[in-house]
Amino acid sequence: MNINDIVNGILAGDKRMIARSISLIENDESAREAIIERIYSHGSAKIIGITGPPGVGKSTIIGNLAPMLAKTGKVSILAVDPASPFSGGSILGNRIRMQEALSRYNIYMRSTSNRLYEGGLSEYSWDIIKVMEASGSDYIIVETVGSGQSDLDIMNIADITCVILAPGLGDEIQAVKSGLMEIGNIFIVNKMDREDSYMAIKDIRETLNMSNKADIPVIGLNSLTLENYDRFVKYINDWEYQNKYRRNERKIKQIIMEKIYRIYSEYINNIDSADIENENPYYAAEKIMKNVAGQKFGYLEK
Amino acid sequence: MESGKNQKFIKPPIKVLLAKPAIDGHDRGIFVLARAFRDAGMEVIYAGLLPTPEEVVDTAVNEDVDVIALSLLNGAHMTAFKKVMDILKKRGINDIAVVGGGIIPDEDKPKLEKMGVTGNFGPGTRLDVIIDHVTKRALEVRELRKNEYK
Amino acid sequence: MQNSFYEEKVSQIQKSFKIDEKYERWKNSTLADWNKKTGYREKNYTNSSDFKIKELYTRGDLPENLDEVLGMPGEYPYTRGVYPNMYRGKLWTMRMFSGFGTPEDTNKRLKYLISNGETGLSIAFDMPTLYGYDCDNPRAEGEVGKCGVNVSSLADMERIFDGIDLSKISTSMTINAPAAILTAMYFVLAQKKGVNLDRISGTVQADILKEYIAQKEWMYPPEAHIRLIRDMLVYSTENVPKWNYISVSGYHIREAGSSAVQELAFTLADGFYYIDTGIDAGLDVDKFAPRMSFFFNSSINFFEEIAKFRAARRIWATVLKEKYGAKNPRSMQLKFHTQTSGYTLTWQQPLNNIVRTTIEAMAAVLGGTQSLHTNSYDEAWALPTDEAVKVALRTQQIIAEESGIADVIDPLGGSYYVERLTSEMEEAVYKYLDEIEKMGGILNAVKKGYIQKEIAETSYRKQLRIENMDDIVVGVNKYVEEDEKPINILKIDEIAEKNQVKRLKELKTKRNNEMVSRSLDRLRDAMQDEKVNLMPYIMDCVRNYATIEEISNVGREIFGEWKEPKIY
Repeated sequence: MNINDIVNGILAGDKRMIARSISLIENDESAREAIIERIYSHGSAKIIGITGPPGVGKSTIIGNLAPMLAKTGKVSILAVDPASPFSGGSILGNRIRMQEALSRYNIYMRSTSNRLYEGGLSEYSWDIIKVMEASGSDYIIVETVGSGQSDLDIMNIADITCVILAPGLGDEIQAVKSGLMEIGNIFIVNKMDREDSYMAIKDIRETLNMSNKADIPVIGLNSLTLENYDRFVKYINDWEYQNKYRRNERKIKQIIMEKIYRIYSEYINNIDSADIENENPYYAAEKIMKNVAGQKFGYLEK
Repeated sequence: MESGKNQKFIKPPIKVLLAKPAIDGHDRGIFVLARAFRDAGMEVIYAGLLPTPEEVVDTAVNEDVDVIALSLLNGAHMTAFKKVMDILKKRGINDIAVVGGGIIPDEDKPKLEKMGVTGNFGPGTRLDVIIDHVTKRALEVRELRKNEYK
Repeated sequence: MQNSFYEEKVSQIQKSFKIDEKYERWKNSTLADWNKKTGYREKNYTNSSDFKIKELYTRGDLPENLDEVLGMPGEYPYTRGVYPNMYRGKLWTMRMFSGFGTPEDTNKRLKYLISNGETGLSIAFDMPTLYGYDCDNPRAEGEVGKCGVNVSSLADMERIFDGIDLSKISTSMTINAPAAILTAMYFVLAQKKGVNLDRISGTVQADILKEYIAQKEWMYPPEAHIRLIRDMLVYSTENVPKWNYISVSGYHIREAGSSAVQELAFTLADGFYYIDTGIDAGLDVDKFAPRMSFFFNSSINFFEEIAKFRAARRIWATVLKEKYGAKNPRSMQLKFHTQTSGYTLTWQQPLNNIVRTTIEAMAAVLGGTQSLHTNSYDEAWALPTDEAVKVALRTQQIIAEESGIADVIDPLGGSYYVERLTSEMEEAVYKYLDEIEKMGGILNAVKKGYIQKEIAETSYRKQLRIENMDDIVVGVNKYVEEDEKPINILKIDEIAEKNQVKRLKELKTKRNNEMVSRSLDRLRDAMQDEKVNLMPYIMDCVRNYATIEEISNVGREIFGEWKEPKIY
């Protein structure tokens, strides 16, 4: 197996090769760049972001939604779970509720740890989505960490961001606080079998109206009876999808930030304290940065 | 020693699939293991209850795990573990390690080893013993993979 | 805001505790001086419920309203026992759980136990049966007869009870998801043997909530199973008066890794949920509550377990009376079966397990159990041999007839330590019940995975405590022997599976398949209407020898299947 085999495998939709390429992307920088180089223009998928606080039933909704979308196209799923800040390890449990749908509808799903990367996705989510897209997916469902705070990266990567909330958890308030109200293109209230769900829908509706977002829909879903799922699917299919390169913006920023960080950290670690001992720290920092810029990027001070 | 503390974690994290490939709902042990593996820096996929052997292998392949850890307490290990091994073999997969555990009589252990299922830990085994074994097997298959790409 | 019922209970109990100045003085002078001189064992003294255990309990630890919360045996709130004469009236039922291999194997074991003086039968089923699969389902391969007896149709039940008079014994069946089917089989079996339904007695476990919580053996979403429980409840209340249609079980919750207090709290929450179910079905609580029974675990921390059993009775009585308005004393009496802990059995040095089981059995008896199963010493290895089962049964007989433990009612009543633990257990349970109620009830808490997560956390902490030597398990982390000699274990004949499959095939050609599919169709129709009681329909299917999987599949088709929530 070499990069060639892997790239051909991805383009042919071979799950084992897709799986292996994702591991390489997560773990090996040179393989990552080589794979992306070869596949980045392939495919065109609709990226559906699913986010919301913990325990609202995101996995259940995806388990129900995926088979419905599978009727009109090939579906892939990326689910991100948090890593433990103590060990870096993680338990990736999102497959449990979807297993049956996965095998029956030939859906590729990948669980990934955020490896402590902030923002609700993993560091290489863009790249993984790219692989899924190149493998011929028509829909890629992305489930964020769902820590209830600052899962905001999804808006830069998904074409349509669905915010899932559940009644009775004070989610409405939490959602406003954590900025989820700003990023949703559609709001879903799960667990419609509960009596208080209509109140929740009303609260969310009012909050949206107050921020001039009266055109954003709020839909209640019942994941037992599948009530209203048809409306949800229709909304997703009718959504006006933009150019797939739009989401490159975030990636480009990320790559630049990373490279700058890596270069500077090398210098930071090598600062000789004797050189700067007596200098004003602001001045010293400025000097070092200019120095690096000059060496690395040919930056010249005017 | 508290599992996960003062250990050097392997990078990239070892990826393990925990599965009970038969009709057996006793999941206390598997939940303890999931937490212990996490605290040892591993990325753990739990396959949920009652997966078929096919589903176990599918999951392992799609998630590209290093190790499949199988556990059964219902006495069906000889049949169920074998099914998983047979499917792996049939699909030509030799770079995923398989380890086992549960109530496994001594006389079955050599048979399982021969199939390629190692460890076969019984009740009361220390977590660090299991973690060490899983780590060892993961590093073995990673070595195999490395050679493949060259 | 007004306190909830459970909050009120918590504050009542807290108010009954006070500071004992005599103890404080002793602790700070005599004890402290002595410890300084002689040293002491450094250890974090807690029990499974995470209660801090003092070195000494005194009169000051008794609740101020002791007489009131204690009551007398056979009187509210039944802390000291549900019957006035307890074991002086009748010893507990020595009920040994058994079942393995083919129905004939189990029949032989049951007859062996009856001839050794056992007074109640208890049947274990294999995994395919527990999940509602026939022995010839591909998923059943390698599991038929392994963990219990295989039952695919009424024909198998006929073999299990061949030559056994159903009017003379009481039978307990450990079956949950397909409980309605097995219950129907037992009822039809009795009818075919000419025994009237009002003369048979027994218990079916049927507690589905604890399946979602702990044992994880279900077929449908919770609501569908709850309906089947309602149907069994209503049917037996009306037709089979001596049938205990549910045994609310903490045993598995404990085995799954919970603490004593979690076992009790979650089990009682389940029990109250079934009470609500009966009331919602339009029944008077005093009509059906008396036939509800419980099933608890007895684990190794002796006093903690005794306190748990005593607290269980007190809480049940209090809540039934004050919250549900029960008037019939029998509704308030919590009767329970106990099994010693399987989790505490070690694979290492298996003979030590006899001692563990003895301690646990004594706790159950001192806690006032109505029936008891003692585990066999070889069960960490395999299903027990006849010899090991006999030792386990003899353990109970020694406690009952040699030790004098059963001579006095509630011999530990009034013990400073036990009374204090009982009250603390009660307080901690009320706190959990309050929390669960605030989460929208036990069913919601279970569907969200909250309860399962609490248990998984506790069980992981327990394991780490063992690894860190905070908790000692003899032979496992201390006094370890390098060479473990294998013991004699029971081998399940692989032929059992082949025989069962062959028989099922024969049955399917011999029976009237026309009748089978017609009865299944009628069941399907009945399932569509939530109000219809399904028991007569299931009995009809069973009578025609429809198999357990055929009947279950109708439900799978109508109700759908269920996947567990994410527990992390």
